[in-house]
Amino acid sequence: MVIPGNSRDMTVTDAPSSSKRLEWQLAEVRDVVIETYRVKSLLLLASGWQGHLPGQHIDVRLTAENGYQAQRSYSIASPPEDDLLSLTVERVDDGEVSPYLVDELRVGDRLELRGPIGGYFVWTAEKSGPLWLIAGGSGITPLMAMLRHRDRLPSRAPALLMYSSRSLEDIIYRDELDAMVGRDANLRVVPALTRQQPKAWTGHRGRIDRATLAAHCFPPAQSPAIYVCGPTTFVESISGLLVELDYDPSSIKTERFGPSGG
Amino acid sequence: MEETPISRGFRPKRQEQTPTDRVPPGQYVTTDFPVLSAGPTPHIKVTDWTFALQLGGSLLGKWSWAQFEALPQTTIKTDIHCVTKWSKLDTTWQGVTFDDLLKEVGLSEAPAPYVMAHCDGAYTTNVPVADLVGGRGMVATRYGGLPIAPAHGGPARLLVPHLYFWKSGKWVRRIRFMQKDERGFWESLGYHNYGDPWKQQRYDGD
Amino acid sequence: MANNVSDLALDGNTAVRLLQDLFAADITLAQIRCEACNAAQGVGSLATYGTPMGAVLRCSCCANILIRAAQTPRGLWLEMTGARCLKFQSLHASFKLGASGLKIC
Repeated sequence: MVIPGNSRDMTVTDAPSSSKRLEWQLAEVRDVVIETYRVKSLLLLASGWQGHLPGQHIDVRLTAENGYQAQRSYSIASPPEDDLLSLTVERVDDGEVSPYLVDELRVGDRLELRGPIGGYFVWTAEKSGPLWLIAGGSGITPLMAMLRHRDRLPSRAPALLMYSSRSLEDIIYRDELDAMVGRDANLRVVPALTRQQPKAWTGHRGRIDRATLAAHCFPPAQSPAIYVCGPTTFVESISGLLVELDYDPSSIKTERFGPSGG
Repeated sequence: MEETPISRGFRPKRQEQTPTDRVPPGQYVTTDFPVLSAGPTPHIKVTDWTFALQLGGSLLGKWSWAQFEALPQTTIKTDIHCVTKWSKLDTTWQGVTFDDLLKEVGLSEAPAPYVMAHCDGAYTTNVPVADLVGGRGMVATRYGGLPIAPAHGGPARLLVPHLYFWKSGKWVRRIRFMQKDERGFWESLGYHNYGDPWKQQRYDGD
Repeated sequence: MANNVSDLALDGNTAVRLLQDLFAADITLAQIRCEACNAAQGVGSLATYGTPMGAVLRCSCCANILIRAAQTPRGLWLEMTGARCLKFQSLHASFKLGASGLKIC
């Protein structure tokens, strides 16, 4: 049952036997935020929205005038506490849907979506224990929903974000992450720049490797909830390293973004 | 019944091609080479690789990589068509034709009317022998003049370009002759048993 | 380098969506036991292959095929001979999000 009202009182019903979340609904684009030179966030108002959990995603469907349809999935970047749904989309050069969403879509346009989908890759502040997030490129999106949820409540459970990007210009939500860290001593953000680093960069250079994980981690004894999201090769490599470092495989949740990417 | 809303300004990237003598119905031409696999890409060392022809319990022939490379090589330029609707024109492949494999094992004709191709990752696909002989099929080891990349089926894949490309099994390891036809991986999951792109035989019953 | 898919997609979810249409419960939360090596794992953690022709879920331990599925115009095919069993969570669970956090009710 949904009780409409302000977001703080929203009832999030994750009743898997209901197919309501699989019905298409229209959302209106209320704002478009430029995150980087190839990434934008779309802020959407979906009046029929029944709430979601941090980490879930939606399906988006586009219909051309000739009836052709294209469908893609995008993680919800906004926390359940926010009124507007946020999707953060990276323009893939050869893409069919992402160039439309990033270059063409405007405030006032409508977008068909359905969801929320996925009960597996979900974290809420109700879950006890440290939170360890590991993001590759645009894999930061569902993890940002979790961090924003944690920030809104607020929850001060210890949290660590390791975030791998190609260069400084590719870091999504950079200012927001800096601000979160500034107001929360229990949040650590460890960025890694894999291809290009500014001369004065004191952060990690190159890919996140076993040493990086070991240097900053929550030790296995603390049973952190671990979420890894990004391109498939990134996710599989990191998961493998975590298992080598003795983390319980069932505590590691993964979401793979496409067969290639980044 | 509500109409599906049109997304303002959205143009499909791919336009369905008007059937020509080169593009089967329902296909679009791509310059990409999309990768579709039923499992993770295996990284096979050629020093460990063998390929066999089999009939029942007997081995008709088995080759190591060096032996296979020493077989007569044929190069073809052809178009390929995937059941997921993309077609790629003028692709060049090099390998050993099915005809030459039969010759190598001393057969003037195939010992049975059907084959099952067995590939890494428990992938299989069935093809009538009639669709392999007369130059219609080969075991390919080069694409565009270079060794086939692992993601595209290297070191060796079956190539039967006149059928939908799922029949060109990647990472082929053995070809087993069968007296009776049996359905392979996709053929046993609702896809068409034969797969002629010109008749749009994508699914069982088409 | 050979090109492949032309757009970013949530890889696992494209295939899982195919399966989700069949099951009332959230398939990603189910536990599945491999018939070949007996390992139990969460369906949500599995790498999925085979899209867009279908969905192929493989055991993370031994790569045995656990589930195969394909959507055709004549119906949705599902083959699960590689799975010994599937265990689903209970069908109904609700979460209430209030000012003080989540409560399960």
